[in-house]
Amino acid sequence: MVIVASDSSHPVKLKHPKKHNHYGFREFFQFDPDKGIITDWNGAQNLLTTEDFIIGMAEGLEEEVGDSAAAIMYTIGCEWGQKDAFFFEKWFEKEFDRNMRQANLLFLLETWWWPFTSQGWGRWEIDMGDRRQGFMFINIFDSAVARTLGDVGKPVCYLYAGLFSGFFTELVRKQLSCIEIQCYSMGETYCKFLLGGQDRIDAASFWLNEGATARDIEKRLRGGELLR
Amino acid sequence: MLSQLERLSCEVDGRYASDAELQFLTDYVQSFNLRVQTYQKLQEIEVALVQQAYIKMRSQDPNLFKNGAEDISGKWKRDTLRVLRYVAIAVLMNDPETLRERFLLWFQTIMRAFSAEKACNVTYTVLQEIVKQNLPAAQANLVCPILELTRRSLGTAS
Repeated sequence: MVIVASDSSHPVKLKHPKKHNHYGFREFFQFDPDKGIITDWNGAQNLLTTEDFIIGMAEGLEEEVGDSAAAIMYTIGCEWGQKDAFFFEKWFEKEFDRNMRQANLLFLLETWWWPFTSQGWGRWEIDMGDRRQGFMFINIFDSAVARTLGDVGKPVCYLYAGLFSGFFTELVRKQLSCIEIQCYSMGETYCKFLLGGQDRIDAASFWLNEGATARDIEKRLRGGELLR
Repeated sequence: MLSQLERLSCEVDGRYASDAELQFLTDYVQSFNLRVQTYQKLQEIEVALVQQAYIKMRSQDPNLFKNGAEDISGKWKRDTLRVLRYVAIAVLMNDPETLRERFLLWFQTIMRAFSAEKACNVTYTVLQEIVKQNLPAAQANLVCPILELTRRSLGTAS
């Protein structure tokens, strides 16, 4: 959980401002018990929440808006991703003394995701092998939402899908959408997301409804198949 | 040792620790002098270790130090020196867990981003050989397992 605040003094960071490996729990977060706030390495204020919060949010939203809950979580994720792209650009430049668009792309992306790992959102793996075809895959291990909700028989990581959509849209300056094609909450060992243009996301959504697996979808997209 | 201490302090809340639970502390105290000597030895010869590894690796495969057309020998030396210092502190503290959590997990992703797994695999294999040649057996036996942990973390593709 992150709230953006102004840059506050982080003692380890003050001493070693260019220490790039600062993602351990005690290094990344600065706990100020007097003020009752937690600030991270990049100056953002954080909140620690439990699984009850995630359950409450998911179930509360469903109770309020029913089937629209998924779309709302996705939209929230998109806005978050978009805002985070601007936040990331600033701290990346400060830490590495270069514009994010001058950096090695995979290195940039790993650097972007590390704070999320420290915050408990899970580890990721990014597959950019199909980038030139206009789509890519992201795996998430230990999704906070899916691990919390457990095997509920449907995908639940809409917040993540939105986050990727919002962030990558800002990064590549092209509208990208994202859909979860495999989820821990459907009994899988990890979650898989497809990121790409709307046509590909629509195709994947259609195939998913037809009962396609993530592997089927990967195969079809790599084979150049699309909805006509 | 520090991670183990922390875990122990959680587990024994409100009770005394058993002898078995305290064994790691006894082991650490008994190994302390050797660990300090090993740490100081590594500090003394770190540059030589890295240089010997560099020469050996270069003779095996000079392409290990190329990223496209770019020569990354300088970067390799700086990174390897830094890793060796983290390894040294892990040996001193008998704490591979903290090394893993606070450094290796992050560095692994960076090495993968630059497709450096092969170079890492060779680096930390060769360094184990170099350490065995330069340190007395008892000291090498403390360092090599940590180097092997490093090799497994950084040197293998997912």
